[in-house]
Amino acid sequence: MSSVPLSARESGRSVDDDVALVAAVLQRDRKATAEFVNAYTDAVYSFIRCRLSPRRDLVDDLVQEVFIAAWENLSSFRGVSPLRAWLLGIARHKVEDYYRRLLQSAQPLEPGVAEELPADEIDLEAIADRERTEQRARQVLEELPEHYSVALQWRYWEKRSTRRMAEATGRSEKGIERLLARAREQFRRRWLA
Amino acid sequence: MSEDFRAPSRLKSRIYSALLERQRNDGPLLSLSEVKARGKRLCVFEELVQIAPLGETAKQPNFCRVCHARILAENIENAPIYWPGCPYVQFQNR
Repeated sequence: MSSVPLSARESGRSVDDDVALVAAVLQRDRKATAEFVNAYTDAVYSFIRCRLSPRRDLVDDLVQEVFIAAWENLSSFRGVSPLRAWLLGIARHKVEDYYRRLLQSAQPLEPGVAEELPADEIDLEAIADRERTEQRARQVLEELPEHYSVALQWRYWEKRSTRRMAEATGRSEKGIERLLARAREQFRRRWLA
Repeated sequence: MSEDFRAPSRLKSRIYSALLERQRNDGPLLSLSEVKARGKRLCVFEELVQIAPLGETAKQPNFCRVCHARILAENIENAPIYWPGCPYVQFQNR
């Protein structure tokens, strides 16, 4: 998945600026805290909104959770990477926590379902890479049941292996593969409709 | 999956308020005199407190907590508040 473009407020910030900003926030400088929020909320919001689609109702809470977690761990920021990347790392964890919880609660599919489904006719990875089809892919994902949408986003946009997904959700790898097979089939049908 | 969205001003306002509350719970905020000495602009209300003949401790509270601008900004997108130096004004997407 390509990165979120820099907002006007972020552009031009150096890592030194970030380190100075973090130091001021840690000193509980209220104006620095406002600058921190103003500079980086757009990036975190974009990152999460793209990945939680269509559950926009959850985006605001998750973005706020990212900033609270950032405050709680801000003293560990060393300026090795830009503050934006550090925050997006937290956001990625929060999104994966959401994916994991959702797939843990989804009903497992019976063995044999995947075998009954037709072979894939669409290369999902290629679709994900093509800018011009992104909008269509997003529309189709929004039409899918949430656990299918999340499974596909986690696997193909976040590039997580089925093994990793299985470990994170406590399900078997076969179970994840069956879920993905059903999700791909639903995606294919809606894509071709 | 790379669209660039702008966060709602209400969300930024709520995040800022939540962070200040966390900071306040962890210890006193930097006093308004120290904030101003760093070259930061204060809002009109903070300015009044800052110039008042008070000790530094009295200049540490989170005055936004009792300000109508915070209430408006947390609940109305691009709320009609225009105080220079008010953080909730800078969050607005105008």
